[in-house]
Amino acid sequence: MTTLLGPIGSALNKRGLTLIMALVLVVLVAAPLATILVQTFYPSGAAWGDVLASRLSQNLFWRPTINTMIIGLGVAAGCVLLGGFLAWLVVMTDIPGRTAIAFMATLPFMIPSFATALAWGTVFRNGRVGGGGGLLEGLGFAVPDWLSWGMTPTIIVLIAHYYALAFTVIAAALATVNGDLVEAAQMTGASRKRILFGIVLPVVTPAIIAGGSLAFAGAVSNFAAPALLGLPVRMQTLSTRLFGMIEIGQTERGYVLAILLIGISAIFLGLGNRMLSGRRSFATIGGKGAKRRRFALGGARMPLTIVAWAICILTTILPILLLVAASLAPSSFALFSDWTLHYWIGDADPAFARGQPGIFHNPQLLSALTTTLILGASVALAANIIGILIAVALTRQKVPVLSNLVSQLSFLPMLLPGIAFAAAYIALYGAPIGPLPALYGTKLLLALALTAAMLPFAVQTGRATVSQISGDIDEAARMTGAGFFRRLGAITLPLAARGLAAGLLITFVNVIGDLAITILLYTPTSPLLAVLSYSYASDGFHQFANAVTLVILIISMLATGAATLLRGRRRQSFT
Amino acid sequence: MISLDKITKSFGTSNAVSDVSFSVPEGSFLVLLGPSGCGKSTMLRMLAGLDQPTSGKMRFGDTLVADGQAGLSLPPADRNAGLVFQSYALWPHMTVAGNIEWPLKVARLPTEERRARVLEAMEMLGIEKLANRYPGEISGGQQQRVALARMIAPRPKVMLFDEPLSNLDATLRVEMRFELLKVHAATGATAVYVTHDQVEAMTMATHVAVMNNGRIEQFDAPDRLLAEPASAFVAGFVGTPAANLIPIENGRWFGTMPDPLLRDHSGHAMVRAEQIELADENDPRTFEAVLAEVVPMAGRFLITGIAHGIRITAVSDQVARRSGRLRFRLPSAPAAIFDKQGTRIS
Repeated sequence: MTTLLGPIGSALNKRGLTLIMALVLVVLVAAPLATILVQTFYPSGAAWGDVLASRLSQNLFWRPTINTMIIGLGVAAGCVLLGGFLAWLVVMTDIPGRTAIAFMATLPFMIPSFATALAWGTVFRNGRVGGGGGLLEGLGFAVPDWLSWGMTPTIIVLIAHYYALAFTVIAAALATVNGDLVEAAQMTGASRKRILFGIVLPVVTPAIIAGGSLAFAGAVSNFAAPALLGLPVRMQTLSTRLFGMIEIGQTERGYVLAILLIGISAIFLGLGNRMLSGRRSFATIGGKGAKRRRFALGGARMPLTIVAWAICILTTILPILLLVAASLAPSSFALFSDWTLHYWIGDADPAFARGQPGIFHNPQLLSALTTTLILGASVALAANIIGILIAVALTRQKVPVLSNLVSQLSFLPMLLPGIAFAAAYIALYGAPIGPLPALYGTKLLLALALTAAMLPFAVQTGRATVSQISGDIDEAARMTGAGFFRRLGAITLPLAARGLAAGLLITFVNVIGDLAITILLYTPTSPLLAVLSYSYASDGFHQFANAVTLVILIISMLATGAATLLRGRRRQSFT
Repeated sequence: MISLDKITKSFGTSNAVSDVSFSVPEGSFLVLLGPSGCGKSTMLRMLAGLDQPTSGKMRFGDTLVADGQAGLSLPPADRNAGLVFQSYALWPHMTVAGNIEWPLKVARLPTEERRARVLEAMEMLGIEKLANRYPGEISGGQQQRVALARMIAPRPKVMLFDEPLSNLDATLRVEMRFELLKVHAATGATAVYVTHDQVEAMTMATHVAVMNNGRIEQFDAPDRLLAEPASAFVAGFVGTPAANLIPIENGRWFGTMPDPLLRDHSGHAMVRAEQIELADENDPRTFEAVLAEVVPMAGRFLITGIAHGIRITAVSDQVARRSGRLRFRLPSAPAAIFDKQGTRIS
């Protein structure tokens, strides 16, 4: 099998590649996690006591944990309801514009959650914490605090961000239910209600649990939304608390919080997994598939169509439009009047925005833009190269224990909240290791952490690519006597290129929209776009924050669009 | 027991089923046979009550179950019919016993009765040991048996099958054919079975409806289809091997060999494989072909050659010479003659 890689393959003997990949993963994933654990116990485990059982623990741990749990459960429930509802409409009913709704419902996940949080502020912010109110106050409504800040807006914003996950998972499951399974039930004379509760819901339950636990894990790990909407009124979650501890130099306490956050997220993902694997495999046998019979909505068709479109527009187009308007309007009370490009291209003017120049005159922005782009590109490249090598190692070499280790470690970052993962990187690489200098505060550390965080996705892309290399197609080419490089150039690369490029672009989008990892690891001398937007927002310069966020969004949308085009129409279709 | 009167089903402007009428007595085994897209599955779905005919009447016994013009269609459950899906459509979250029992629960049978029926159905198909397994844990052939058991447990008067064997391998298929016939005989219900496999039709049916383009080409007993095919389509679709359809032009075989028996007709002449002989020497009734394949079958050989661009198959006791060319001799008379439209002339 080493012939697949030709000379490279023979140079690395049978288990060489797996061994090297295992080492890479230990350095990138396992070592930081081990270090953060060790550092909280050694030289002393006092930080655990401080966090869990001291006069401080109420504020340090218990309240943030309760907030985190409320947010996690609320978001999970909301995502399952919203995503499930849309999935039902798109897959099971005759609602018009199904394809468009299905496409729109997957978009919110592409919009960074701080963008949605900022957009919320443009409408619902009140003047309580300074920086002016939002659109509603401008219209003369008194916006109560609970709607402006804290728990409610955080949950709503996170639902708007994560329901796309639940939608995708539930729609895929519903698509397998439809058709024969339902008709077989109809043959028995069961009522619609009975079919729904006796057949459809039980079959979809695993997907609902999976969608819910993914949304939960995402929500408890999220930093941007609670930071932007909760911190101004001192609502702390584990992730904001962890950020605060490390900011003020109490790193050990921060590490303990990071471990606890990983624990909470892992427990729920694990519970979800357990409930799933306890069930029987629900794979159904393909037949020619009955023509999809859609549930006729009748009189409810129009109202439900309007509701579905409202959900899609409120969570995708509207936030973007609000950000555009808010980046142009001098007064946060009147988003749609006196538009000016000052916040984009204006010179510093003491009479305007406390002398802040427009973002394109801010030297920090230009440097943040280049840093972000270079960082995004290099991380995407590095993660995907490692991803492919890992995929090759996993499919080509079966080394006992080691292969399993590589597979597990490469997917571990998926379970780790970004901010906790970043904390682990500080723990390991923040101090010099032997002859190696401390990496804290360098772009290299940021790049390493982001690369590790992107690995699960990159390995998946890699596996898809390798399966094309190793399948019948490659064997057919081998039968003709074509050598490895000939096959690589003529068969493998042309086939895999589009998928690989799309994978690179998606990784890139994930990197430039990330705040949870970058907020802890960015270099003060050269911040990133997301960090810049966050610091503008926390200083009350909302127009600037919105403008920077829009720059990120535009780059993301261009890259996502390119990825969609590259993938062609192979996008999963539920309709 | 089942009678159809001018049943038509339109999707938009096209007819999936046009003007189909037939009737079969109680206890018969009707096979709807035809290539994919011929309308046979649509027929079955209308019989099941999952689709409604656009026009025409459908009766089960004395009960009018569907009337296209009147917009009447009894719901599936009120037809006393059961359906086995091509995909089996087993509910993946219920055990084997649960799958069989659920329709009985919906029908509100008392617990004792349900238990007895489930057991009886499982015993009939030999799957008692699988009672507590889930569909995902058993093999394709076993799933097929569960689907059958689920269908018969409510004791339907009409059993419907939608290509139930097409997902099984060849050996299992033969086994399940036998199993299906056993169930049919034991229940005495009327069966309607959709397939594109003419062997299944020939081995199982009491009646066969050969369908093409939404119409019935011929409705007959299996042996009659072989003996007296009503159209060129039927002649070319049934039989193992199917009869040869040799093009004729103005009374000439292949347009070149004149024969008074063809009486100036143009179209196709049907010649069965057993009517064609291998010839050693050249004479006016022989023609040359390029050997294509030799298939041993039941102690004899099916010898196929290509002449004038079409495949001609003959049955022979001896193996053809392995050389590339051979001669076939035409019979004294064709078994049937069809015109250019495929309609039988003689």
